[in-house]
Amino acid sequence: MSVKHALLALLEQQPMYGYQLRAEFEQRTGTTWPLNVGQVYTTLTRLERDGLAAAQGEDAEGHVIYRITDAGRTEVATWFTTPVARTQPPRDELAIKLALAVTVPGVDVGTVIQQQRGATMKALQDYTRLKRQAAGATAAEPSDLAWSLVLDSLVFAAEAEIRWLDHCEARLRRAAVELDRRGPRPTDDASAAPAPSTEGRAR
Amino acid sequence: MGTTRGGWQVALRLARREAWRRKGQTALMLLLICLPVVAVTAAAVVWRTQDVSGVESIERRMGAADARLVAHEGPMVEQHFDPDVAQGWVGEGTRKPATLDEVLAVAGAGRPAVPLLRESRTFRTDAGVADMEVLTTDLDSPLAAGLVRPVEGTFPPGPGEVVVNRAAADRGPGLGETLTVLHKTADGEQEVELEVVGIAESAVSRGYPFAAGQPGTFGGSATHEHEWLLGGGPVTWDDVVALNRIGVAVASRHVLTDPPPDSVLTSGGSPVSSLLLDSGPDELTITVLALVVVMVLLEVVLLAGPAFAVRAKAQAHALALVAAAGGTPRQARRTVLASGVVVGLVGGVVGVVLGIGAGALAVPVAQRFNSTVFGPFEVPWPLLGVVAVFGFLSALLAAVVPAFAASRQDVVAVLGGRRGEGRPSTRSPILGVVLLGAGVAGAATGAVAGQEVGAVLIAGSALVAVVGMILVVPVVVAVVARLAARLPLALRFAARDAARHRTRTVPAVAAVGATVAGVVALGIAVSSQEAANEAEYTPLLRDGHGSVSLSNPDTDPAAVDAVLRKAGLDDQVEAITGLRLSTDTEEMELEFRQGEEALWLSYWSGLGSPYAVGETVPDFVDIAPAARERADAVLAEGGLVLLQDPHASEGSYTLPQLDGDPVAVDVRRWSDDLPEPELAATAEAPTVLLEVSGTATVLAVFSPPVVEDLGLPTAVVGTLLAAPISDETEKDVAEALAALPGDPYFYVERGYRTPDEVRIIQAVLAALGGILMLGGTLTATFLALSDAKPDLATMAAVGARPRTRRGVAASYALVVGGVGALLGAPVGFIPGVAISQPITKDPVTGTTLLEVPWTLVGLVVVGLPLLTALAVGACARGRLPLTARID
Amino acid sequence: MTDPVLRLTDVRRVHGTGATQVEALRGISFAAYAGELVAVMGPSGSGKSTLLTIAGGLDQPTSGAVVVEGADLTGLGLDARARMRRTSIGYVFQGFNLIPALTAAENVALPRELDGVPARTARQEARAALEEVGIGELADRFPDDMSGGQQQRVAIARAVVGERRLILADEPTGALDTETGEEILRLLRARCDAGAAGVLVTHEARHAAWADRVVFLRDGVVVDETGTASVDLLTEPAAR
Repeated sequence: MSVKHALLALLEQQPMYGYQLRAEFEQRTGTTWPLNVGQVYTTLTRLERDGLAAAQGEDAEGHVIYRITDAGRTEVATWFTTPVARTQPPRDELAIKLALAVTVPGVDVGTVIQQQRGATMKALQDYTRLKRQAAGATAAEPSDLAWSLVLDSLVFAAEAEIRWLDHCEARLRRAAVELDRRGPRPTDDASAAPAPSTEGRAR
Repeated sequence: MGTTRGGWQVALRLARREAWRRKGQTALMLLLICLPVVAVTAAAVVWRTQDVSGVESIERRMGAADARLVAHEGPMVEQHFDPDVAQGWVGEGTRKPATLDEVLAVAGAGRPAVPLLRESRTFRTDAGVADMEVLTTDLDSPLAAGLVRPVEGTFPPGPGEVVVNRAAADRGPGLGETLTVLHKTADGEQEVELEVVGIAESAVSRGYPFAAGQPGTFGGSATHEHEWLLGGGPVTWDDVVALNRIGVAVASRHVLTDPPPDSVLTSGGSPVSSLLLDSGPDELTITVLALVVVMVLLEVVLLAGPAFAVRAKAQAHALALVAAAGGTPRQARRTVLASGVVVGLVGGVVGVVLGIGAGALAVPVAQRFNSTVFGPFEVPWPLLGVVAVFGFLSALLAAVVPAFAASRQDVVAVLGGRRGEGRPSTRSPILGVVLLGAGVAGAATGAVAGQEVGAVLIAGSALVAVVGMILVVPVVVAVVARLAARLPLALRFAARDAARHRTRTVPAVAAVGATVAGVVALGIAVSSQEAANEAEYTPLLRDGHGSVSLSNPDTDPAAVDAVLRKAGLDDQVEAITGLRLSTDTEEMELEFRQGEEALWLSYWSGLGSPYAVGETVPDFVDIAPAARERADAVLAEGGLVLLQDPHASEGSYTLPQLDGDPVAVDVRRWSDDLPEPELAATAEAPTVLLEVSGTATVLAVFSPPVVEDLGLPTAVVGTLLAAPISDETEKDVAEALAALPGDPYFYVERGYRTPDEVRIIQAVLAALGGILMLGGTLTATFLALSDAKPDLATMAAVGARPRTRRGVAASYALVVGGVGALLGAPVGFIPGVAISQPITKDPVTGTTLLEVPWTLVGLVVVGLPLLTALAVGACARGRLPLTARID
Repeated sequence: MTDPVLRLTDVRRVHGTGATQVEALRGISFAAYAGELVAVMGPSGSGKSTLLTIAGGLDQPTSGAVVVEGADLTGLGLDARARMRRTSIGYVFQGFNLIPALTAAENVALPRELDGVPARTARQEARAALEEVGIGELADRFPDDMSGGQQQRVAIARAVVGERRLILADEPTGALDTETGEEILRLLRARCDAGAAGVLVTHEARHAAWADRVVFLRDGVVVDETGTASVDLLTEPAAR
């Protein structure tokens, strides 16, 4: 996520001061990525340093107003036309958690998955509710549409996660069945049910 | 060539698999193709079996003899190799029939010969007398073996003994009882009493009374012909020709088994000989036969069409995939046609095999209704080959239209799951209307053309009109679907669905239409002919009244009265006094004339004489009171009353007005002694001619003075019986009177009665029409129901009651049957009206009649579709498929 | 809480017998209340569709009770169940299942007509229902001449016409693109918000998320259930 480019893109519309910029950003992306004002001002200072934006003076209440420079415009245009790189997968806590759960003995992976899916489902429901509420104005205002698209992105990401969890669950179940079919583990008691009948039941 | 065969191989394999996969549908297709094949095959087997061909008939004609000879009173005989087919006399003058000696002189001395005689006699039954056939021959002779088949009792009978068949025994003279044979000869009636010693059947016929005895058993013969069975070795064609020269016709076992070539048969050079040869069927017969075959083929194709259309539709998706993978329309067409090939081949063969079986089962049944003894079981293979080809052809033709539809389907639409049937073509209905017009024009031309050409023209026009109708059906179905918007749900659904599946609906509707057209056309023809017959009919008596004619002086009026009294009719009897015109030796004829102009009166009467005698007009003459007054006045002054029945007027001839004008009556006497009739008497009297209002019963009423002038005797010439006379009484009286001497003629006026065969034809027509209509409607309905399964499941899901399926089924039947009937009926009027003109044309006046059997038309157009719909609704499963689409 | 519109109690359904016996539902209890949309999720063969056909009275459970608006469907005959489908239950299918021989309005009017409502009234109600799903102008078209989304709108109109209180939808968006699918879900949701109870069978989480509750089925049993989210992960944008 490039806060730098996002702010620059907003400045391209009109000159603004820091607090204004934060409000405008949240208006368009919802409360998805909360920005604190300090982060906004730090970024603005950096933009000014790199010659992409310039302070233009103060308003009546003493807010410093920034405007975009020509170099900034070029930078924004380049940003919009360059695809977001997926070279480095984002560090995903869930994936790591599951990977560990499968390998560490004594963890009930099924419960882990189920709980995670419940939580993700809840999140998905919430996104959907927000979408429903925003529905009335989809095409009316570009900024509302922007918000809706951001929500969609979250919806699809959550859906993808649920599908991935379903997939994990299915694979784990299959693995368990396979394991069962191969007969009792060597460590198990030798008096366990004979393999053929176990096989029959497993099928 | 290689690719062609390869293409067919793939198509045939697909068709075979598909046929196996959809067994129910295949069974239906096979059934539709098979049934006509089975029916025709069975009929052909029965027909060939009951038909006794020359060789098969040898035993029944001549027993074990080598020939049967008939000596005629002619100089020479010309005969076909089978004398029963044709024979004729040639040469001048007469001669006595050849004697056995003369015959043996020609045929070869020393041959054994047995005289043989088949005659018609009457015999006493329990109820009166009846006709029977009697066979007289030397039943002991080995030559006669096989002519009579003993069943029980003694055989052969001795002198004074006789064997009778079951039919005769059932009517009176049973085993051990007495058979009384009546025989009229020049010396009057003779009775011969014979003891029945056995039951035996004739080799020729059953069901008709028959008796057989040794020579001399039945008394003297009345025929002038001599007949023998001849043995002693083969009788050759040369022998036959030689015997012909002495006036003997010969049926020879040798010649019948191995007929000489035509050149030998005609070597005599006489024109008769060539006439005696078989001539092939004429062109007219062939044309009519061809038209009938085409119509039957059309009907079978139309009936089977829907099944093939549904099969093609089931394959539509696969065909679309084939097309998407680069298949040509031709390959698609071939795949569908292959279904026809497979079903046609199997159907034709299976149909013929089943038909032979059905024929074998039907032969004994048919024999029960037929008095002629059937020949041995016979299978006409070449004919059955043609029938099998017919079955194959009908299946192939039924697949043609779906095949072309399949090759032209919209691939994208089919793969997308939308309907593949495009809009109906606008050109073919126009062609259809043109053909209908041509049919009307052709029929109109045929109606005024000569009898034979006209019939062919009308039949051809009927075919053209039916084809035109078929082309119009798609448009009509579409219009009905459009009009269905306001109809109840089931009907609306059925009408629209029918229009959506045209390849399935159109042949079914057309099959019903063609059937209805046929029924209506034949119905109009039969009704019109009946109407013409009825119009020509002139009643002799008042309706329901009867008469006994006493023309023969042998008949004793007292005996007749006794019979009538016994029947309980005595208080209904009225004796009629009239002119006695015949005696034992002579016959009188009356002629009326005004001056020199002869007056022609029609000559019909149920009495012994058409001329009543009286001082007033008898009550039984229906005449207006004023006219009766006038007539009585004329009679009182010694005049003559002529009665004219307007129904009986002969063509355009009209009698002159007579009102007291003098009319002369000439009596001409006919007698065996006179070469020409002679004028016996003439009288003139004032005469009035009156038109009767009802029935006249007699032609004229003579006053006694006129009778006196003519010198004719008066007598009771008949007895009138007032209504009512039950059918039962009529039968009893008729049988009792037949036993009286002089054979008094008994008649009961029942008005015009449709002959039984016409009634049977009408019943068969109605039944056949009903069956075909039902068949067409049912196949279409049940195919539609199986197609509509997903829609029915949807209806169930939105809350349709299970019985909704019945409503939908009945609606389909109503749409198919109703539209077919509505289209077919007017088409049927085209040939029906046309053919009614030549067949009802009065040869004298040229007037024609048109009688439309509205009840039949109404029944067929309204009744049958409704009935079919009700039947379908009642029979359809009242259960909706619940989950067809949901899983 | 008031009585649910639909309640399944310990429902079992066994298909076939002997060796080919398959237990599609193994004791499912489940309810849908008025104003609520419940999603049923699960992989293929988990018994989702069987659950729906039983809830709609198209199929009968081997054991257990199915109560719709107070009436136990298991005790009803075919006719009575058909009447329930006309008056209380509406179905929406993945394949739309419109009758191709009937126009859009006639398809919608179908349950009303089957219920004996005069044709004219039924058609007026149908037109109103079509207006409600936004395709009033297509009332006289035949299904073959409509897009998938339009057809499914007709199907929804058919499922709700006549104030039916239980809507059963079986993968209603399966054959549609995501945006059109969302429109359909929006219509379903709106119907539930207006007081109907809805059951939505789907295998897509994105669609299930439109529901108030999501029930997970596996091998004929409920394995998990998520209630209405208690904590809002996000808040409304400040600017609204």
